[in-house]
Amino acid sequence: MEDKGFFMSWNYQEIEEQILRDKEQVKDAQSLETFRIKYLGKKGLLAEMYSSLSMATKEEKPLIGKKANEIKINVSAFIDVKKSVIAQEAKKQKKNTIDITLPGIAPKLGHEHILTQTINDICSIFETLGFVVEEGPEIETEFNNFDALNIPSDHPSRDGFDTFYVNVQDPEEKDRKLLLRSQTSPVQIRVMKAHRPPLAVLVPGKVYRPDAVDASHSFMFHQIEGLLVDKDVKFSDLKGLLQLFCKSLFGDQIKMRFRPHFFPFTEPSAEVDISCFLCGGKGCTVCGKNGWIEIMGCGMVHPQVFKAVGYEKGKYTGLAFGLGVERIAMRRYGIHDIRIFYDNDNRFLKQF
Amino acid sequence: MKISYQWLEDYVSVGLPAEELAHKLTMAGLEVENISTVNGDTVFEIEVTPNRPDCLNMIGIAREVSAILDKDRKSYSQEKLAYPQEKCSIDIQDKQGCLRYMGTVINDVEIKQAPEFLTERIKAVGLRPINNIVDITNFCLMEIGQPLHAFDSDKLIGGKIIVRRAKKGEKIITIDDVERELDPSILVIADEKRPVAIAGIMGGKETEVTKATKNILLESAYFDPILIRRASRKLGLSSDSSYRFERGVAFQGVGKGSHRATGLILENAKGKISQHFDCIEEKKRQKLDSILIDCKEVNHFLGASFDPEKYISILEKLDFSVSADSEKLTVIPPVFRDDIKQGVDVMEEVARIIGYDQLPYSVPKILTGTMITNKTRKKRTFVRENLIAQGLNEIISYTMISKSLLLKTKQEELKGTEIMNPLSVDQEILRPSLLPSMLNVIRFNINRGEKNLKLFETGKVYLEGEERERVSLLLTGEREADWRNAKGKPVDFFDMKGVLEQLLSRGRVKEVSFKSMENKYFEEESVAIYIQGEKTGEMGCVAQDVLDAWGIKQKGIYYAEMDLGLFYDAMQPKEKFQPISEYPSIVWDISLAVQWDTAFEEIKRIAAELGGDLLKNIEFKEEYIGDKIAKGQRGVIFSLVYQSSEKTLTESEVSVVHADICQALVEKLGAVKR
Repeated sequence: MEDKGFFMSWNYQEIEEQILRDKEQVKDAQSLETFRIKYLGKKGLLAEMYSSLSMATKEEKPLIGKKANEIKINVSAFIDVKKSVIAQEAKKQKKNTIDITLPGIAPKLGHEHILTQTINDICSIFETLGFVVEEGPEIETEFNNFDALNIPSDHPSRDGFDTFYVNVQDPEEKDRKLLLRSQTSPVQIRVMKAHRPPLAVLVPGKVYRPDAVDASHSFMFHQIEGLLVDKDVKFSDLKGLLQLFCKSLFGDQIKMRFRPHFFPFTEPSAEVDISCFLCGGKGCTVCGKNGWIEIMGCGMVHPQVFKAVGYEKGKYTGLAFGLGVERIAMRRYGIHDIRIFYDNDNRFLKQF
Repeated sequence: MKISYQWLEDYVSVGLPAEELAHKLTMAGLEVENISTVNGDTVFEIEVTPNRPDCLNMIGIAREVSAILDKDRKSYSQEKLAYPQEKCSIDIQDKQGCLRYMGTVINDVEIKQAPEFLTERIKAVGLRPINNIVDITNFCLMEIGQPLHAFDSDKLIGGKIIVRRAKKGEKIITIDDVERELDPSILVIADEKRPVAIAGIMGGKETEVTKATKNILLESAYFDPILIRRASRKLGLSSDSSYRFERGVAFQGVGKGSHRATGLILENAKGKISQHFDCIEEKKRQKLDSILIDCKEVNHFLGASFDPEKYISILEKLDFSVSADSEKLTVIPPVFRDDIKQGVDVMEEVARIIGYDQLPYSVPKILTGTMITNKTRKKRTFVRENLIAQGLNEIISYTMISKSLLLKTKQEELKGTEIMNPLSVDQEILRPSLLPSMLNVIRFNINRGEKNLKLFETGKVYLEGEERERVSLLLTGEREADWRNAKGKPVDFFDMKGVLEQLLSRGRVKEVSFKSMENKYFEEESVAIYIQGEKTGEMGCVAQDVLDAWGIKQKGIYYAEMDLGLFYDAMQPKEKFQPISEYPSIVWDISLAVQWDTAFEEIKRIAAELGGDLLKNIEFKEEYIGDKIAKGQRGVIFSLVYQSSEKTLTESEVSVVHADICQALVEKLGAVKR
């Protein structure tokens, strides 16, 4: 189409043939662009056809216009189709240029300690039910840790064999030293002294007992204490609440049983057993052959405890429970040695 | 405690497979921990809770079984004994330690093997037959729960029994052939000259009943539980007797046990009672107070609806005496149940016998009144999540450490809180710093080949009794970098500073400053962190001599510790929204040569003062130290970002401000434009 000899009298057939020939030459993005410029560019064929209109006769004008539009549609459609074909081909060629199995790039996140995660899992179950989470000091008075919890003054657990005492004078009792709480229960006392019922409190924290360290004992461990006090809390509520909790934490399949037990600060008292994770209740090395694993202590708040915090006699009833965090984490994740939690081996930390 | 199934059948007809009985006992609060077979008998290992000393014998368990299975009990038959008028010589000198001592002298006994039915019984529960006298005392201990002891009365010097505290330095060889040194905290049974038994724990070798024994003195007593417990712990010696005395035997069991054993001795070893004395120092109550309970209330509390008859039947089976006025019951517990003091105790009795599993479930109404969730906890969660997002792993370490660790860490002047009764020197104080705990953890890890560590702990320090919550942070090893970017360089001061700054800025803590400081446990480049003028923490590179003392070979251990109480207080709530300017910003760089000790903070301060509202940000870009700059100087390049919230700034508007800033930096800091 170098010669523009067909001024005024466009040879439409020739044009169409030329377009067909040019289409065949289009192989890639570059030749497609050359094609586009030849027909649709600023100085392309269509531009020329339109500009020839001004000089064309009245009779010629509609034909030129019509033909120009046809060419435009023809060429544009070809370009659109070809573009996508070329893009697909380019994509195909790119394939296999990277090893998609190499690791991705991302800032490395840290890991929360599994005990923290376990505490948070448990707390959030109760928070959803309406409990609030409270904390208390680890260095406690003998009153909060023992007296107020109805533990007699000659009880063995007060001995130096069972409780750590610190060399700090009890500010309220001159002949007593402070101690390291042996349970999270003293926070019950603090909460009840500071607030009136209704109360629904959960207390996680560290506790201490002078046990020599071995695979299942530690002088420091974590407990979570729960307390619900109101005007009409019943024993059936205790069963219902803890059933709800166990099913949330361990799954709907879990079976549980309430076994009568003894704690000085609850009456009636119970221990909660759940069916073994490993054997599902058939009996194995984990559950000691009977298919049950003890996971928590619980009971109805003893009237003496209410008396110790100055609540009116008979006005309130309540339920309380306490569980060992390490014990639950060990059961849940198959950890057989409690010391692993405190070694803080980086390879252990990164597993959770 | 071991319980023989066949023996139990002597007192109650069980008529259930052993497994089933074990389950029922467990579900009534007598947890059967193990079941074994001994010579065709089934033996249960039962965990008896400390409030139930009355269950530490066959008859006690039989009582429970009769209530659980609703069956009548059978009792052993015994002829009434005729005691002579003549008293044996018993002198209770420690009246608090011993409330009651019953002595019975039986002459001309025949020492031989005990009858088979008796030895089979005691063998089943784990005792070794010795001779008829000793076996009978053991049999009665297991049957009734009353510890008994028989002396060879001819060997008691002066023929006397004296109950007193041991003298300092006194010694006794106990029947297990061990010589034990005693002291005045220990109660003993003595004759005129020497201790012949450690009261309630174990008898002496020299007065024990042997084949040669002719005459015996049978002891049945009530000793103070606390005294026995302490002596047992002190001597590291416990026995079936001490186990029961510690938990409290029934005062009334003294006579019952003595009569039963005396009867069996007369039957099996012949002999004749020559002396008897029931020496009671202080009479314990013969009857416990009555308790009123309302069955309606019990049902409501349990969420159940049982008939009063059900409750009455259970209580009577447990030997409570009950009188009923329709639904109101007056209950008197048996004398051996001084754990029953009020209504809830009685409720527990009926509930556990019915079985907790038979009681209904309900969902409580949960109201929380005036309490709100602890704010500290939320803030701590923020700290943890922030540090985890920054790639640090959380550790939890022991809070009790040895003082020697403080010495190693060059923190010996810090005072923790002393434990009065530590298990070992490794846990003699509650820590005053988190650094020793962290060093312990990194040494553990480095020794195991984990060298690139980013760790933190939120934990407490205990400053002479005061608990403070802190966070410790540790970075060491290579920066975590992908091979496609830079290869990991070692972490440095600024990695640690960056972690802290990110934590502080996301906590929206204002007025933070870092100031140089010196201490013994950090290298030179250490800083104190101040929040609103108050020292809140420290950071630095752990000193080489500290690492040497700990045996940590790796260098470049960056550590920071910060008080969380002060941090939490300084955390600010989210601020109001700042509109985002619609107009473009202009960024101009400044490159200066400044004196070595000119702080970038100072440059920023001067620029900010002059930049006014137009200067939106100052970004540090590069530091240059080297040949192309005079000694004692360094090159700094930073960007100034200008932007208006009202219009598009022109270059001429910016250049006025920019020139002012440049001039001020040159004049005030002696900087040279590069």
